[in-house]
Amino acid sequence: MSYREKFAWLCLVAMLIAYTPYFVHAHLNPPPEGTLPDLSHMARFGLTAAAHAIMVLIGLAYLRFAARGEGPLKPDERDRAIDRRSMQVGYWLLMIGLVVVGVISPFTESGWTLVNGALFFLVLSETARSLVAVWSYRRGWHG
Amino acid sequence: MDRRLTNQIRTLRFLAGEMSQAELGEKIGVTRQTVAAIEAGKYSPSLETAFRIAEVFGKPLEEVFSWNASPPP
Repeated sequence: MSYREKFAWLCLVAMLIAYTPYFVHAHLNPPPEGTLPDLSHMARFGLTAAAHAIMVLIGLAYLRFAARGEGPLKPDERDRAIDRRSMQVGYWLLMIGLVVVGVISPFTESGWTLVNGALFFLVLSETARSLVAVWSYRRGWHG
Repeated sequence: MDRRLTNQIRTLRFLAGEMSQAELGEKIGVTRQTVAAIEAGKYSPSLETAFRIAEVFGKPLEEVFSWNASPPP
């Protein structure tokens, strides 16, 4: 498994571990409407983002340590092709999220629903990007 | 008809004194994993990389890569 494939796995796993509990909790216990900012909810999001960052940083440090002596870690043409494909998928999901949260939802929703909706689409697009990268490394790339 | 790119890289590496995937990757500027993916038919290389591979083995491109009908499932 190449360094870049391992990194794609790291991003995918860290994103799922960090943000799944946050969104499940936000869905089951939605913050009361009209309480923006809600400090406890903001703190929960802050902890989630920090946990995600720490997981990625530790994982990255480990991957770099494990890859020492493997030569330069520059992406080659296959890495770039996979990156282009996964970025495209992430971009389209982000655009869909922008339309849903920024254009449609404000007519019916407000407050934390919009904030969490925007965060959800950010996380979803990044997760999809990593998922497509992992899939492309595993199953092959013929584009 | 379904067609796919096949290659003789494994055979050519063997004939080149068991050249490793890492050595070939180094000569053509890609990682060992990318050479493995090309060899396994999981990645179709760019035209430039295909020519580089042929150049390493001193063969014309059509002796390294061919465009064949897929075997029936």
